[in-house]
Parts: sequence; C-alpha cells; structure tokens
Amino acid sequence: MKNRLEEIRKQQGISQGELAAALEVSRQTIGSLENGRYNPSILLAFKIARYFGMNIEEVFIYEEDEKA
Amino acid sequence: MKRMIYLLPFVGVALLAVGVYFIKTLENPQGILQVLPYLFVGVGCVIFGYGMGEVILRQAMKRAPDAAKQLEIDRKDERNLAVSSQAKAKAYDMMVYVFLALIISVSMMGTDLSVLLLMVFAYLSILVYNSYHRIKFFREM
Repeated sequence: MKNRLEEIRKQQGISQGELAAALEVSRQTIGSLENGRYNPSILLAFKIARYFGMNIEEVFIYEEDEKA
Repeated sequence: MKRMIYLLPFVGVALLAVGVYFIKTLENPQGILQVLPYLFVGVGCVIFGYGMGEVILRQAMKRAPDAAKQLEIDRKDERNLAVSSQAKAKAYDMMVYVFLALIISVSMMGTDLSVLLLMVFAYLSILVYNSYHRIKFFREM
C-alpha cells in the first residue's frame, strides 16, 4: 500500500518526531510508513488521517493488484 | 504489585544466602538436599538480577519522565509489537525442528528413557499449547 504521508507531513511543516509524538508511536514507525516498508493497522491509519484532517483514502492509496 | 518489585532483590539475596548456607553446612546430603541448595542459589541469582534491573529501570523512569514516556510509547508501538511477534514466530518455527533433532539425537545416544520421555512430553506440550492458541484466536478473531 502506498501513501502520501511524507508529502503531507512536509506540506504541513511537521517533523517525523513531532508526528510520532502526536500519534504516540515511535519515530521509526513513521519512517517505515513513509518508506512503504510497513503498512499501518486500520486504527493507526485512522489516527494519521484524523491528525491531518483528511480521509484515509487521501493519505493511503490502495492498489488492487498488489499482493501485500 | 509495584511495591512487590522492590522486594524482589531482597528475596533473591535471601534465597542466595540460604543456598550458600546449606552448601557450606550440609554434610553428606541425601536425595533432594543434594540439589536444593544449588537450586536456591540459581533461582536467587535470577530473582536478584531481574529485581535489580526493574528497580534501576523504575528509578531512572522516575528521574526522567520524558524518557519514561518514550519508553512506554516504544513498548506499545504497533510496529515494534509486530516485529517482536514476527521474531517470536520465526524462533518458534526453528525451535520445533531443533527440539525434534535434539530428541532424535538423544534417543540414539541410548539415554535413560525417563529423560527422553520428559523431553518428548515438553515438546508435545509446546505443540499442544500452539494448537490451543490457534483454536482460541481462530474463534476470537
């Protein structure tokens, strides 16, 4: 699953550390999400979307043909 | 429960002291008394080590609330939990084969049957425990 997390975070001028602290996750988790190495749980996806005041679909992009 | 942690190092030292006392004083011990003092020393050391670790950690967390908060976040972090679960699953998969190989090796060495049966029982217990949780989680999820 791809996401626009890095793009949105930079647009809003927030550091990875600040976002991690606000979402109560580790900074490494934010880094892994941005690199696409880790897919978040639905709860974390909702928290992220809600933090930026967006819908999940605006942050995370589901692609039909992907395996994971 | 929190205060109990502070007692652990004392319990460990007490067990250790009792073990050492018995090792020094018991002359010609028979039966379980041959093993018990060493068991006390071993268990005492483990409890003391764990207790001291917890006490030091708690004191450090009291002095640095920010670090404590970060530690709590890292502990509950879903990616860290996923990584930990995946590592445990890999280790379990490996253990199943290693344990089996060990049992076969020990059986070919002509070891005492009771030792072999104990190992087989332990091995089967782990497999049954796995199946039990598989069924439990299957129903819950």
